[in-house]
Amino acid sequence: MLSSMRGLMTTISEFFRPIVTAQYPEKHLPIADRYMGFPVLMYDGVIDEPYCTGCMVCVRNCPTDCMSAIMKDNPKNESGESKRRKIIDEFEINLGRCILCGICVEVCNFDAIEMSHQHELSVVNRNGNRANLPQLLEMGKSYQAETNWTPPIKPPKESKE
Amino acid sequence: MSILELFLLQIKIVLLFGGLTIVVLSLTWLERRVLGKIQRRIGPNRVGPQGLLQPIADAIKLVTKEDIIPESADKLIYWLAPIVVFVPPFVIWVTIPIASNTTTLAVNNMHLGLLFVIALTVISITGLVMAGWGSANKYAILGGLRSTAQLISYEIPLIMVAISVLILCQTTDLKEIVDKQNIIPYALYLPLGLLLFFIAGIAEVGRVPFDIYHAESEIVGGPFVEYSGAHWSVFYLAEYIQTFTIAVLTTLLFLGGWHIPFISLEENIVLGFFITIIKAYAVVMIIFWFRGTFPRMRIDQLMAFAWKILIPLSFANVVISSGIIFYDIPLIVLSIINILITLAIGYVLYNKFTTPAKIDAEEMLRKARNYKLPEGI
Amino acid sequence: MSDQQSLNSVDMLLNMGPQHPSTHGVFRMVLQIDGERVLDVEPYIGYLHRGSEKLSEGEQYAQIITLFDRLDYLANFNNELVICMTVEKLMGVEVPERAEYIRVILCELNRIASHFLFYGTMGMDAGASTPILYGFRDREKIQSLFESVSGARMMHNYFKIGGIKADLPSDFFEKIQWLLNEIKQGVDQADSLLSFNEIFLNRTRNIGIINSEDALDFGLTGPNLRASGVPYDIRKNDPYSIYDRFSFDIPIGDRGDVWDRYFVRIQEIRESVKIIEQALKQIPDGEITANVRRIARPPKGDIFVHAENPRGDFGVYLVSDGSDKPYRLKIRPPSFCSLMALKHMMRNAYVSDAVMILGSIDIVLGEVDR
Repeated sequence: MLSSMRGLMTTISEFFRPIVTAQYPEKHLPIADRYMGFPVLMYDGVIDEPYCTGCMVCVRNCPTDCMSAIMKDNPKNESGESKRRKIIDEFEINLGRCILCGICVEVCNFDAIEMSHQHELSVVNRNGNRANLPQLLEMGKSYQAETNWTPPIKPPKESKE
Repeated sequence: MSILELFLLQIKIVLLFGGLTIVVLSLTWLERRVLGKIQRRIGPNRVGPQGLLQPIADAIKLVTKEDIIPESADKLIYWLAPIVVFVPPFVIWVTIPIASNTTTLAVNNMHLGLLFVIALTVISITGLVMAGWGSANKYAILGGLRSTAQLISYEIPLIMVAISVLILCQTTDLKEIVDKQNIIPYALYLPLGLLLFFIAGIAEVGRVPFDIYHAESEIVGGPFVEYSGAHWSVFYLAEYIQTFTIAVLTTLLFLGGWHIPFISLEENIVLGFFITIIKAYAVVMIIFWFRGTFPRMRIDQLMAFAWKILIPLSFANVVISSGIIFYDIPLIVLSIINILITLAIGYVLYNKFTTPAKIDAEEMLRKARNYKLPEGI
Repeated sequence: MSDQQSLNSVDMLLNMGPQHPSTHGVFRMVLQIDGERVLDVEPYIGYLHRGSEKLSEGEQYAQIITLFDRLDYLANFNNELVICMTVEKLMGVEVPERAEYIRVILCELNRIASHFLFYGTMGMDAGASTPILYGFRDREKIQSLFESVSGARMMHNYFKIGGIKADLPSDFFEKIQWLLNEIKQGVDQADSLLSFNEIFLNRTRNIGIINSEDALDFGLTGPNLRASGVPYDIRKNDPYSIYDRFSFDIPIGDRGDVWDRYFVRIQEIRESVKIIEQALKQIPDGEITANVRRIARPPKGDIFVHAENPRGDFGVYLVSDGSDKPYRLKIRPPSFCSLMALKHMMRNAYVSDAVMILGSIDIVLGEVDR
């Protein structure tokens, strides 16, 4: 009897507290700074080209093989504007296959790929989850604007390989 | 009866039916919002402002679902079962008065109102057995028999407590019963009776913690397993009507109906109507509160609870109240005895269940503190 | 019994199929019942088999950590800890102190989160609809702390071979103080709502009893074993990482029924809070990762490492041939071995008790099927 009364008192005290849910999609819960959303490509606004050089390290290390990339010779290197000898030509991530693990970000040597804060994925066609290079750069630009991203300072180069 | 009286009767019945439907729909909405608030979330709030049109959306969905009838089902019994479950709660409402001045706000307030109510509550149990049998599904038969056993067992305390109220007020006319409570509601004379009536009422309706016969997280849905669509919605509505009936009966028999306790006011029909409705809704909210808190009992524990605890207590209540009325002892003795019995039962139950658990918990902590690494594992 | 045989009745087979509100995950149980009593139970597993052990033979160790996150998906950090410890032991890497302390704090928080979910589903199996929402509310608080530390609410991929991925954020220490307060209130609320409730006690006491010898024979580990009275906790008996620096108690039950298994876990939440508080006081500054190569190449050999997961004794047996991918990785899941005892626990049970007994073993199908 008495324990049932205690249970009833617990429930009635919870009745008067504020609710802990938020009505989606009108309200979104706050996202942490380090939140790992979809991987996106960063864009170098100074030189006006992507950071990614197509070295394929992230593609090789992805556990689910969700990325593919093709590199090409950088025209801006011949004209002397940029130091990158190769630049990315085509890049595709299957966002439905990505497990948001962040390994691609860890292994990238050029800080070209980051995990954005986007996590909502509803599409209306079957292959709508495949994001190609312009879409990834677009998402990357909005991530850069939102978080004032600057490339991290590189530690002095030690041969780690 | 003249044509005018017949016409008036028709209007009253239509108003009653309409009012009951609105009440039942509002109860479904209220239950989900109250449960949501207890669980610290929003209930339905999308359909209409604050989700008030949610019951209508539910009704539309249920009506437009396909009615699947199993092939080997007994067609007549399968079709009759929802009707037998659904109609008696409505018929009971013919005789329940909601407010009273010089006229009574009921369709037909009978002299034997209480007996009529009790007699008709029992009919819907037959409907459950019919639903179980007519579904031609072994789980439905099991569920139907379980539910019959439960509902019959819990009718007895309900009736016995009603009899003890009868003894106090010497009449079965519901209006008279309420009018005798215009200063002191019977809840103060018979607190144990109120508790027993409430618990037995919840068990009659089939709500948590007594809802094992149609529980969804157990294996199947009991006698309702083969019903879908509009058929099932009839059972669903019948449950809510019965809930409201129990709430209103509790209000009328124990909480003073349309009188404000301890104040003797000049009676006003509109005020009385609202007071009854507010009290009935308060009782209904308590039923929802129970749903949010308690787990459900197993079927044999349920039957043990009815036969070993509720029925002896309700018999004792009848004997004590009849003794007190017969010997003209002041009624304050009745309330004292009732409160003592309630406390004694509560203490006994606590000792039987919770104390061993607390002892075990202490033992667990003691062993934890004196943990020594055993050798050789 | 004899007139039942003369009536030539066939016992009823009841299928609690893979989709069921009470079996935790895609688990199928066929009960052979006689009226209300359960005579026999036959579990069917394999609905969630993803080939983890075979997949891990083709992946580097950094990628295997993402796989281990998803095995016991309610205790991600504990799984990551086991695989990291396995490879580190084989390679002989010493993890810096700060990383060890952070790992212990996060693992204990994950244990608390897993036990809160257990409390919720236990209430739901018994028929109460609010404990699960209260359990998940507390779990959400823990998971949003995880999000600020590791970047993901569930599949963290935060522990690396040799340490952890990144240091704690700057507001971690105030957040965790608030969180520990909330956890204490949450577990007190669990006690007042469900643990000593008469109806719940009626449903769980003296049900599904297994005594200590049978528990050891069947291979139960973790809270299930401790509830039967056997004092065995890997954090005390066979300490790994830095658990020997903390003082905490191990709740040990008496009878081995459903209530003991439930209450042992509720007490473990309180003990984990003690561990976290001590770790927060002792945490030193320093590096967070040892000096290892990015691609780990353990030397040839084999090793077995086990740890105390919220569900029991999670073990990994690794056979390495010197390359960057394992030759064979065998996982010892605690839930799989605990399921062996299901039939023994369900003797003389009612059908309604079958649900409670299954809920009290606390299985996670991701582990059982791998």
